[in-house]
Amino acid sequence: MRNSVALIIIGFLIGVIALVTWSLTHPRETVGDVTAFEQALTFSSQSRSRTTPTTTIPDAEDHADAATTLTDIPGFTIDVHPQGHNRIPVGLRIPALDKVASVIPAGVEPNGDMEVPANVDDVAWYKYGSAPGEPGSAVLAAHVDLAGQGPGVFFGLRDLEPGSTIYVDFDDGTTGVYEAKARKTYQKEDLPSDAIFSREGPSVLTLITCGGDFNRSLRRYDSNVVVYAVEARTGSTPFYDDATLPAGSAPDGA
Amino acid sequence: MRKAILAFVALMMLVPGMALAQSSDGVVTVVHGVPDLDVDVYVNDALTLPGFTYGTVTDPLTLPAGDYDIDIRAAGADASSDPVLTELVTLPAGANATIEANLDGDGGPKISVWVNDISAIDAGNGRVTVRHTAAAPNVDILANDGELFGNVPNGAEGVADVPAGDYNVKVTAAGDASAVVQEVPALTIPEGTNVIVYAIGDLAGGSFQLAVQSISGLHSAPTGVPSGTGGDLGSNLPAWLVVSLALAATAMVVGGVKVVRERS
Repeated sequence: MRNSVALIIIGFLIGVIALVTWSLTHPRETVGDVTAFEQALTFSSQSRSRTTPTTTIPDAEDHADAATTLTDIPGFTIDVHPQGHNRIPVGLRIPALDKVASVIPAGVEPNGDMEVPANVDDVAWYKYGSAPGEPGSAVLAAHVDLAGQGPGVFFGLRDLEPGSTIYVDFDDGTTGVYEAKARKTYQKEDLPSDAIFSREGPSVLTLITCGGDFNRSLRRYDSNVVVYAVEARTGSTPFYDDATLPAGSAPDGA
Repeated sequence: MRKAILAFVALMMLVPGMALAQSSDGVVTVVHGVPDLDVDVYVNDALTLPGFTYGTVTDPLTLPAGDYDIDIRAAGADASSDPVLTELVTLPAGANATIEANLDGDGGPKISVWVNDISAIDAGNGRVTVRHTAAAPNVDILANDGELFGNVPNGAEGVADVPAGDYNVKVTAAGDASAVVQEVPALTIPEGTNVIVYAIGDLAGGSFQLAVQSISGLHSAPTGVPSGTGGDLGSNLPAWLVVSLALAATAMVVGGVKVVRERS
């Protein structure tokens, strides 16, 4: 009798300890200074109209070459180098997740959502936005999982910790090295899409997938997991580390 | 002799309050659409565009809102001579306008003021604007052989948002798709950009051509990023936790069964 009760108590304790340990160590919804990224990208997006400096009276020299005739329209093919990028991403490697994936250009679905590859092992680059290394947020999106295909490239994205290295391979043979800085799980209706898809401001690599709770009848997650990364070469970015934040605002998460 | 003041009140209503609402500046582009006439453009009596030639589109100029005297003289003409064309243009804050010297339907020169649509464009789309400012009959504009704008007269424009991409564009005589006046095999409409095409010149005189202006930065963000339908994420518990919970459950069940047995 006593042994049996002890067994029950031991079992109970193991369960409690395991759950407490897990709840203390499992990936948090928000890590790193997400707000710095949201603000830096959103602010630059709002200041879009101020990019052209005010001219009083134009200079004659400025217009000698300003003629635009039809032949001057860039002849780029929209699916290869949209918006005239010098290089576009073709591969993504995240050692911390043990993932290597192809990156393919993606646009917009008829309903206005971003296209995400039908293959759960591929990563989409938002071809109308910035490419990695350019001003603004370069968006790479992939499925967390797909019905019938199982877990995808970004299945582990919600566990990707700040400091993790991300490699982006470009079509010109170069590779960009990025460092994850912050991560947040947003309810889909709260996704700061103007910041995430900003084409101006600091150069940010933004990884995005689904997460949160899954609605089995709609087959839909209620949240997006977003990881913000910056080029690792410089180690930090001015907007991220200096005092662009209101005094006293601590990094999110606990 | 100034022409009547062209106060485009409509501009205030047409330009959405978004992009430039808080700016006290406006943006102006100048287009030369009068063939065989090199001109000097004076703004508020200052020579601004000397030797401005047919078919030229300037870069956008950001100017403080206000009234501007636009005088156009033949290239090299004395600054005090009577201008060929003159207009007083009011530029409201936040406006994006194009001032064009072009031919009317009868071949006479005039100054046209256009309000450019800089409202936000849905993600994935671009905008095409076509302006008939040539001495030519009414035209149809075909995109990939489908009618985009029909029966456009001189002085009129058509505006449409279309999926970004390359389009075969034809300008044809109104109602006759076989009477192609001009064909552009692949006109690129970039995403988030308003591509404005001007038909200029004199069709009968052989000077008919197109001029193009584009306004970028009108893009919107996609509405969402749907990126999971599997529902596998919930099972992403660490192995040690699964093992621990299984162990705990087993211990409690075994203990419970023993208790029940020992009582019976």
